[in-house]
Amino acid sequence: MHTLRVLAALFKINLQMSLAYRADTLVNILLNLMWLGWELLGLSIIFSNTTQLAGWGIGEMIALMGVFRLVNMLMASLIWPNTEKFNTSIRDGSLDYTLLLPVNSLFLTTFSRMVIWRAWDLVLATALIVVGVNMSGGGATPLRLLSFMLLTGTGAMIIYSLWIVMIAATFWFVKFDNNVTILQALLDAGRYPANVYPVWLRMIVTFVVPIAVATTVPLQALRGELTFLQILLYLGVSLAAFVVASRIWKAGMKKYSGASS
Amino acid sequence: MLRIFQRFWLVNWAEQWQYRANLLMYLLYWLVSPVVYLSVWITIANSQGSVNGMSANDFVTYYLTLLIVDQLTSDITIHILAYKIQDGTLSGDLLRPVHPILVNTLVNNIAFKALTFMALIPIWVVLVLLFRPDYSAVSWQSVLLALPGVAMGFGISFLLGATITCLAFWTTRVYSISEFYYALAVLFSGQFVPLPLMPRVIQAAAQYLPFQMMRYVPIETILNRLPLETVLRDYAIGLAWLAVAWLLFRFVWREGVRRFSAVGA
Amino acid sequence: MSELIQVNQLSKTYKVPEREGGFRSAVRGFFKRKYRDVNAVQQVTFTICQGEIVGFLGPNGAGKTTTLKMLSGLLHPTGGSASVLGYTPWERKRGYLQAMTLVMGQRNRLSWDIPAADSFLLNQAIYRIPQAEYARTLKELDELLDLSPIMRKPVRNLSLGERMKCELAAALLHRPQVLFLDEPTIGLDITAQARIRSFLQEYNRRTGATILLTSHYMADVTALCERIIIIHQGRLKYDGAISELTHRIAPFKLIGVALGDPCPCDLTPYGKPVAGENGDGKQFVQVPAGEVASITSRLLAELPIHDLTIEDPPIEDVIERAFQE
Repeated sequence: MHTLRVLAALFKINLQMSLAYRADTLVNILLNLMWLGWELLGLSIIFSNTTQLAGWGIGEMIALMGVFRLVNMLMASLIWPNTEKFNTSIRDGSLDYTLLLPVNSLFLTTFSRMVIWRAWDLVLATALIVVGVNMSGGGATPLRLLSFMLLTGTGAMIIYSLWIVMIAATFWFVKFDNNVTILQALLDAGRYPANVYPVWLRMIVTFVVPIAVATTVPLQALRGELTFLQILLYLGVSLAAFVVASRIWKAGMKKYSGASS
Repeated sequence: MLRIFQRFWLVNWAEQWQYRANLLMYLLYWLVSPVVYLSVWITIANSQGSVNGMSANDFVTYYLTLLIVDQLTSDITIHILAYKIQDGTLSGDLLRPVHPILVNTLVNNIAFKALTFMALIPIWVVLVLLFRPDYSAVSWQSVLLALPGVAMGFGISFLLGATITCLAFWTTRVYSISEFYYALAVLFSGQFVPLPLMPRVIQAAAQYLPFQMMRYVPIETILNRLPLETVLRDYAIGLAWLAVAWLLFRFVWREGVRRFSAVGA
Repeated sequence: MSELIQVNQLSKTYKVPEREGGFRSAVRGFFKRKYRDVNAVQQVTFTICQGEIVGFLGPNGAGKTTTLKMLSGLLHPTGGSASVLGYTPWERKRGYLQAMTLVMGQRNRLSWDIPAADSFLLNQAIYRIPQAEYARTLKELDELLDLSPIMRKPVRNLSLGERMKCELAAALLHRPQVLFLDEPTIGLDITAQARIRSFLQEYNRRTGATILLTSHYMADVTALCERIIIIHQGRLKYDGAISELTHRIAPFKLIGVALGDPCPCDLTPYGKPVAGENGDGKQFVQVPAGEVASITSRLLAELPIHDLTIEDPPIEDVIERAFQE
């Protein structure tokens, strides 16, 4: 309850900030739409030359585009702005103030900044997924849809956990501003199904920077390619990743306050 | 004049060397999307033999050459200059007896290229080993023939980039404008896919736009895939665009500086 | 009075990687790093009672900020113990965080882009302040700090003094019982300093809050604190009343005399001549506290004196002296 109230207060502050820059918000949404058109054009170019990409039809690719947009939204609305805030707060020492507040520090670090207009992506992504699923025709049983949504959540959780580890690394290696950029740089690889890539790149986007786990895997669930056991495995991995990440965050906090030395 | 260039060069080199970690990240960015598109087209070409007459190897050579040409013709002026116009620090540069863009920013760009190239070469070699392109169609004549194209490509992209950066004299939303410009460039330059795979309308438009000189024309010239008369015609169009870009830049710069000093920023 | 803050043998030792110049040692340091211990705070012991305002003084690098950070729970000590309001600060229990505040003059807690009033609302949610109490506290702070004209402007448009007012208000919305203030007046002009000072005094009077503050401005200390704690190189040097300090460190008095004739008399036989503060033509000599009476009578007997005053030496000089010892 308290957490929700703090979240609401943070939301309100961020909303005010974006309202102060109304025109920018409008321009950003227009640019966002432009990129959407651009991506659709890209897909149409690909599918004017072929009917299938590594066994995936155009409907499935559109749905994948939707899921990719969700991941991108997570990055652009929370991960990026909060990384920036966190790095600044370490540099100028204002992190001290965050730690003094009677609220979970990881929670505050995650939600201090929100780029609210990005919620718009939620609408676009949903539309793309719905259209894509319809175009790919049948196949999508309620059970598959459910596991699709579940795995989208676990994928986001895994990326979020990775992010926690990356920013917590700052407590040990002070000069590590570039940490999160790796995530963003490899993000583009999430636009296409992972089995398109050569083995080495597939390994990277699955295990090192698991973008594919958040984009390709949910779609695989939708196509009914995953067994029940695999779905459980992803669920387990994402929970484990979060537990490990928050442990590392706590250790980082201890290191910061000199409790561990 | 040469001495001035040399001095700027040394300072720039030293400054940018400081940020080598950022540089690596930049390289990663610049690397990922060509490799992604390359993978997509290889997959399609392999599954059906060829795409619109292009074999898997044609795609590999295209995108691997793109990595180098892209690096040579791209321009980072907006990142160097826009904030200087916005926060007023440009006035310091204006006091110096050299042109802030045609000397300082240009050298900045070139120093950045030299630096990224050092990191690029080993990565490129690794990619060649991974994708095993067949470069037998390339000859030294074709590379030589492509050089003016690369130079023109950089010239156009530098002048257009500088022109757009100069819009910062009037608007705070210069980054949004540049994003729009960037999207156009990616589409019409052949960065995304080789132009012949594009819908006919876009192909037709691309022929008369400045962007194809930044990627497609030099790449295909190097790879010996364009007939000589096409290359010459494209060069003529490129030259015209270079002149247009120069005039545009001169106009925007003159008006911009006038406005800058009038506001007293 | 209850003892609100108890500090016992508190110590903090930092391990600092040692680096020599030169390339070779840089390479060596890469593989095997040498560490040097820096004793920032060494066995500091003191207690502070409820409602006290205590000045915490020492030259730069004396360990003031480190101590404040330990007491506010940001740093773990390497030795000793502390108890504030019955809590061990670095356990960072919610109850403790809810009951104290730390203000650092050189760091901002408020968001730059939005008005302070909006940051206040966030604090209301974070500290679970009921609406009625929030409104009452804000009204009270507004009265004391005159926030109304400034709290609706984006923080980036405020002057340094205005921003500090807002920072203080944000730090006090949850009505903390203990205030740790690290250089709260740094960089402010004289008027703004005086404003903050009188606010702290009034706030202490009204709420009975306990305040421990560091400052480089002696005027802050003399105006606010009856008691001061001095640390130097991590060790406690003095703990007691300001007035006592003069006796301990500088057992002198200043005798000022105004002579009938404007003759430049030689006062050296009576004591060490020192420059006077006020330009009323008085000359001052510094004499040991025990000899004030005898020297005064000698002066009166031997010189044509119009006026004579006996004063304590300025506190700035005394504290300066204390640092040096």
